[in-house]
Amino acid sequence: MVGTPVLLVVIPLLAAFLIPLLGMIWKELVRIIPGLVLLYMFILSATLLNQVLHTGPIVEVIAGWRPPLGINLVFSPFSGFLVTLMTFIGLMVWIYSYRFKQNVDFEPAKKYFILLMMLVTGSVGIVLTGDIFNLFVFIEIVGISAYALTAFYTERNSAEAAFKYLFMGALASTFLLLAIMIIYTQLGTLNMADIASKMPEMNTTYKITALVFLLTAIGIEAEMFPLNGWAADAYTESPGPIGAAFAGIVAKAGVYAMVRIIFTMFDVDGTMQFMLYIGLITLIVAETTALRQDRLKRMLAYSSIGQMGLIMVAFGIGTAEGVFAALFLMFNHAIIKPLLFFSGSYLVYNSKDKFIHETNGMGKHIPITSILFALGAFAIVGLPPFAGFWSKLSILTAAADENMIIIIALILIVSIIELVYYLRVVNRIYFFKMAEGVEPKKPTLNALFVMVTLGVIILLVGFYPDAITGVLHKASGDLLDKTKYIQDVLLLNP
Amino acid sequence: MKKLIVILLLAVLAWDLGVIFLGLNFGNEHFTEGVKDQYLEKTVTELNVANTVTSIVVNFRGFDTLGEVTVLFLAATALGGILYKKRHHVGERSVLFPSSSLVMSGSKLLFPAIILLGVYVFVHGHLSPGGGFQGGTIIATGFLLMLLAYDNYSVSHNLLSIVESLAGIFFVVIGLLGFMNHGTFLENFLPTGTLNSLFSGGVIPIVYILIGFKVAAELTGVIYTVLHEKD
Repeated sequence: MVGTPVLLVVIPLLAAFLIPLLGMIWKELVRIIPGLVLLYMFILSATLLNQVLHTGPIVEVIAGWRPPLGINLVFSPFSGFLVTLMTFIGLMVWIYSYRFKQNVDFEPAKKYFILLMMLVTGSVGIVLTGDIFNLFVFIEIVGISAYALTAFYTERNSAEAAFKYLFMGALASTFLLLAIMIIYTQLGTLNMADIASKMPEMNTTYKITALVFLLTAIGIEAEMFPLNGWAADAYTESPGPIGAAFAGIVAKAGVYAMVRIIFTMFDVDGTMQFMLYIGLITLIVAETTALRQDRLKRMLAYSSIGQMGLIMVAFGIGTAEGVFAALFLMFNHAIIKPLLFFSGSYLVYNSKDKFIHETNGMGKHIPITSILFALGAFAIVGLPPFAGFWSKLSILTAAADENMIIIIALILIVSIIELVYYLRVVNRIYFFKMAEGVEPKKPTLNALFVMVTLGVIILLVGFYPDAITGVLHKASGDLLDKTKYIQDVLLLNP
Repeated sequence: MKKLIVILLLAVLAWDLGVIFLGLNFGNEHFTEGVKDQYLEKTVTELNVANTVTSIVVNFRGFDTLGEVTVLFLAATALGGILYKKRHHVGERSVLFPSSSLVMSGSKLLFPAIILLGVYVFVHGHLSPGGGFQGGTIIATGFLLMLLAYDNYSVSHNLLSIVESLAGIFFVVIGLLGFMNHGTFLENFLPTGTLNSLFSGGVIPIVYILIGFKVAAELTGVIYTVLHEKD
C-alpha cells in the first residue's frame, strides 16, 4: 500500500508550500522536488489504477464526514486512467524542462516549477473529486497556474494571451458558480452522486439553466467552439513545454468535467446530440483554421483544439463503443500532442517568430528530433501502423454502428485537411533547403529522452493496441454505469 | 441595426435570467431540505463549535478551504513571478510624494490596534463572526497603511515567505495527522472541549489561526510587490 487517492492532491500541496523554504537552503531543490512529487504521483496513481481494475472503485471521504455531508474523492477505473495519464505527462514535461531557465534568474525558475506542479495537481483534483464545489476550487487552481504560465515570458504578446485567458477563465468561474448556486438551491446538496440521484426531482427550468451555465463554463476549459478564442494564443505564447501540458493535461481535465456533468449528473434529453454537433463544429472550424496558419506552434494549437472536438464527437455518440473511442483518442492525443510540441519547439528553437518555413531542411541537422516530429504528425493524422490509427478507426466504427454516415464522411474529410497541413511541415523539414543564418539547436539529453519515450509508446500502441484497450474498456464501462457510481458513493460502508 | 439586435438579445437574456433567479425564492421552504439541517445539528453536537459558518469552512468543507488557500498562494506566487523583472530596484516606490504628518502619526497610532483586531478576529473565528480570511485581511490592511504612510517602511520578503510557507505546511500537516489518527484527511483528532469556550472545536481554531497567518502574509506580500513596481 503506497497511499490513498487524497495523497495525490495533498502531497503536491505540501511540496508547493515547502519549495520556497527549501529554495532558501539549496536552489537546486526547487527543480528536483517537483519532479520527485510528480514521480510519486505517477507511481501512486498507477498502483491504485491497477488495484481498482480488479477490486472496483475507491471512494475516499475527507474530514470524516460521509457524502453528502463532506467532500469525497472517487478513484474509479475511468478517473484513475485519466489521473495516471495526466501524472505521466506531467512527469514528462518536468523531465523535458528540468534545465529550463537554468542560466537565468532563480526567481522565475522557482515560480515555474511550483506553477507546473500545481497545474498537474489541479487537473488531477478536477478528475478525482466527487463534489461540484470542490471541482470549482480545482478549476481555479488550474486557472491561476495556467494564466501565470502563459504570461511567463512577460512580453507584450504573452501578456495579451494571458489576459484573454484570464478574462475567459473568470467568465467560466462566474458561470460555474451561478450553476452551482442554482443546483444547491434546488437540491440542497453539492455532492455529484447525490445531485445525480436527485436530478429527476429538479424543476426543468432550473435544470436547463444550470446545465447551460455549466456547459458554458466547462466549454471554456474544454476548448469548445465558440468559447475557445483564448486557447490558440495561450498555447502559442506560453513556453513550449507548457503548451504540451495544456494539450495533454488541462484540456483533458476540462473534457472530463464536461463528460461527468453530461453523463452522470444530468438527465436532459439531447445533451449527447449537443455534444456531438458542437464537437463536430469545433473540429471542422479548428482544422480549417490550422490549415491557414503560418506559425508552427499556432498550427499545433489549432490542431489540438480540433482533436478536442473529435473527442467530444466520440463522447457524443453516446454508446459504449463511442466512449471507448473517446478515451482512446484522449490517450493518443495526450501522448502524441506533447511529442509534437516538444519536437516542434526544437525545430523552431532559435527563431523569433516561429514560422513554419523556418523548419526548412532541419531533417539533415537534427535528424532524431525531425523523425520524431514526423512520427507524431503521422500518428495524429491516423496513418497505420501508428497509435492514432486505432483510435480513428474505433471512432469510425462506433459512428458506423449508429448509422451516422455524414459524421463519418466529415471526420474523413477533416482527416485529409489534417494530413495536408502536417505533411506540409514534414515536407519542409526533409525536402527543402535550409535558409541562410538559421541555427539548428541540438536537443538536450533529457529532452531527447522524453521525446524518444513518447515515440516508443506511439509505436508500441500502434503495433500492439491490446496493451491499452483492456483498461479503456473497463474505464468506458465505468463511466456509462451511472447507477453504480451513485451507489458506490452514497451507500459507502463506514 | 446590429447594435439594436444585440441590445434586444441582451434584454431577452436578462429578462429570462431575472425570472429564473427571482423564482429561486431564497429563504423559502425547500431551503430546509438537503444537508443544511445536518450541518446545523452536527456543528453543535459533534464539533462543539459556536459558529456554523466556521465549522463548514474549516471542517465539513475543509478540503475546499485548503484549495482556496492554495489559490491565494498561487496568485501571490504568480504576481511575484510576472512583476519580477520590474522589481529590480527594491526600495524605490511608485508613490512619489511624501505623506502628511497627520497620516504618518495617525497610522502609527492605528497600526497596533489594527493588528490586535485582526488577531482577535481570527483567534475567535469559531466563536464569533469572522475567521482566518477576514482576520488576515485586516492585518494586511494594517501593513498597507504603514506602507502608504512611510516611504522607507519595509517588510522582509523572506520573512513573509517563511510565514506563508510554514502556515501552509502546518495546515497540511494537521490534515495529515487526522489522516494518520482516524483514517481521513483533515479529520478532527483533538478533544472538542465545551461549546462557547476559547478552547473548543478541536483542530478548527488551530487551522483558522494558521489560515489567518497565511492570508496576512500573502496579502501583505502582494501589496508590497505591487507598491514597489517600477516601470
